[in-house]
Amino acid sequence: MNTKVKEVMNTKLETIKAEASVYDAIEKLVDKRMRSLIVLPRDEKDVYGVITVRDIVFKVIAKNLDPHKIRVEEIASKPVISIDKETDLEHLIKLMEKFNIARVFVHEGKEIVGVVSLLDVMGASLIERARRV
Amino acid sequence: MFDKIISGGKLEKKVIEDIKTHIKTLCLATECFKNALTSSDIESTFCVADLEREADSIRREIISTIHEGAFLPFIRPNICRFIEMVDEAFDILEDAAFEFRYLNMEVYRIIEPECVKIASINTNICELLSIAFDSLITKGDLKEKNLAIRVYEKQVDDLKFDITEKLRKIEIKNFWEGKIITDFVEYLTRISDLIEDASDYLYIIEISLR
Repeated sequence: MNTKVKEVMNTKLETIKAEASVYDAIEKLVDKRMRSLIVLPRDEKDVYGVITVRDIVFKVIAKNLDPHKIRVEEIASKPVISIDKETDLEHLIKLMEKFNIARVFVHEGKEIVGVVSLLDVMGASLIERARRV
Repeated sequence: MFDKIISGGKLEKKVIEDIKTHIKTLCLATECFKNALTSSDIESTFCVADLEREADSIRREIISTIHEGAFLPFIRPNICRFIEMVDEAFDILEDAAFEFRYLNMEVYRIIEPECVKIASINTNICELLSIAFDSLITKGDLKEKNLAIRVYEKQVDDLKFDITEKLRKIEIKNFWEGKIITDFVEYLTRISDLIEDASDYLYIIEISLR
């Protein structure tokens, strides 16, 4: 595949503070119809994290824990796996496989500017196949 | 597929070449509209109307060639319907270009990134329709092209949702300002819908020829 990450990435990103409750995260995920939120760094020395629906289901709901009492940073994954937007999609797929993750974030300098999910990768590969006359 | 009914006929070959030109003209129009949106240049939207007129004459040519006797009668209405669908996409694109000229740019700036993305997808989806039509003629895998067009259409749907979310938060003080922006978004997002329908129709034509 010759496709670059920037061609398929989604720039719709939502963030949440590390000290917010998991319940706040659930509300935001439902409202925005999303599957993950970026957890903002606490300070300049800290790094970005990510909290996904999967984290909430397996680490909170399945264990019968109260989402009001657990903070986002307790279950979030840190740091986020991110790549440059000029990277080839092939490299991104390898990263997904290596870390067993469904989405990879895209950075520009220190800032997170986008995300690519498995569904985006599948869509891009279908389009590329179709374009091969 | 088509060779079964073309059987070397001059009229059929002419129709096929004209349909290819018709779709290519639509691709050019979407491309020129994308450039107008990217540069926010109102003047460059007039190219859409020029290309629409050009496409109109190609459409008339196709229909009259079909009525002269191209193709077997059972397939003629299907081909005409496909051409009408592409023509409808042209009309909607022209409407979008027209509304763009009257937009309140302050309001448009809020949804500009999404609109530019949709315009770019419209260009890509159009190219795929052209590839899909070639597949119908050359016995390529039309189903694959059809699926890719559906992937693009879904992306437009998601972007339309984002635009609606943004627009709902804006206070509209003037009736025409509100009407023009909603009409513009409606037209811009309908183009991919029509192209998806046209691509579905190509698939129906292919099935009917089996």
